[in-house]
Amino acid sequence: MLTRKLKPALIRLCSFCKRNSSATLLITLAVLLLRCNSSGDKLPILGEREAVTKTVDGKPVTDSVDHTIPDFKFISQYGDTVTAKTVSGKIYVADFFFTSCPTICPKMKVQLKRVYEKFKGNPNVILLSHTIDPAHDSVSVLNQFAKDLGVTDHQWLFVTGDREKIYDIGQGSYMVTAQEDASAPGGVVHSGAFILVDKERHIRGIYDGTTEAGVDKLINDMNRLLAEYTS
Amino acid sequence: MKYTFPGVFAFLLFLTTVFACQSEEEIKRQRYITEGILVYKNNCANCHQPKGEGLAALYPPLAKSDYLGDKNSVICLIRYGQKGPIVVNGKTYNHPMPAQPQLSDLEVAELVTYIYNEWGNEKKVTSVTDVTPILKECKK
Repeated sequence: MLTRKLKPALIRLCSFCKRNSSATLLITLAVLLLRCNSSGDKLPILGEREAVTKTVDGKPVTDSVDHTIPDFKFISQYGDTVTAKTVSGKIYVADFFFTSCPTICPKMKVQLKRVYEKFKGNPNVILLSHTIDPAHDSVSVLNQFAKDLGVTDHQWLFVTGDREKIYDIGQGSYMVTAQEDASAPGGVVHSGAFILVDKERHIRGIYDGTTEAGVDKLINDMNRLLAEYTS
Repeated sequence: MKYTFPGVFAFLLFLTTVFACQSEEEIKRQRYITEGILVYKNNCANCHQPKGEGLAALYPPLAKSDYLGDKNSVICLIRYGQKGPIVVNGKTYNHPMPAQPQLSDLEVAELVTYIYNEWGNEKKVTSVTDVTPILKECKK
């Protein structure tokens, strides 16, 4: 069926090619370029390169490396410890929120839930939501929040911990803003960003977690990033 | 049969008056709803969602919600917030809703009009003169 339709089309195309060789060349080039754009390029590594001093053969050597998320230690909604080891060998999406936030957090959670549903069961993907209000968001509060949001597995972790450490890693490493502001609803202003981190803990993308378009792009880039590891 | 000019004129005048009366109330309803949509978007939709469906077991729905049966309580919790468990359509929700003291009586009325016309099967205005005494009452 298909070949019967395809054959005449191919014949027509070939006779067209014979008559217009320059057009054929253009078409071929265009196809090649499009192929390069859609599958060839990798996601960029974001952040400034950092100086690292290592000891090689007994001598200190300073080199620069890509911006990397440092080791961390927080507690999840199940009460267990979450470290860099938890996300090792996986790509993950990080964000910052608090459960009593009435402004952008519910929007972010609706969008991140979409990501969660999309990659549910994929052992290479983890979602990591940090509370920036650990005084209120205890393990039990996060547990109830996650449950009510419909999250009951270990693929989406809601973490709490030392307030300073959460703010430090948020601002210093994930490059998001978060600060207390008594005039803001909920008392804290913070960014609605989702940060995509690869298996080497490099930041590969920052997305607007409050909009559908921003998160569509995140989902698309997550697939691209996963593909980098399979090819 | 011949129409007299004054007769036709009187009939037209009658028609205009009837429709003008109807549409004045209708215009008010439309105005309340238009403003109410804005108030909803800016203050409620983040949690209760643009279509009023709520968010999982976190935030209760407004659409098809039996809680709308108690309008006075709806008006009061918009202004003063809600703490502790709340039962909507037989399901218990237990996350606090912040008070919205920044909303004026008129804005609460516009919001309630929008909510009840959109999800409460109403086709009328809940005007600011209805809302103000209720808000005074629940402040006590």
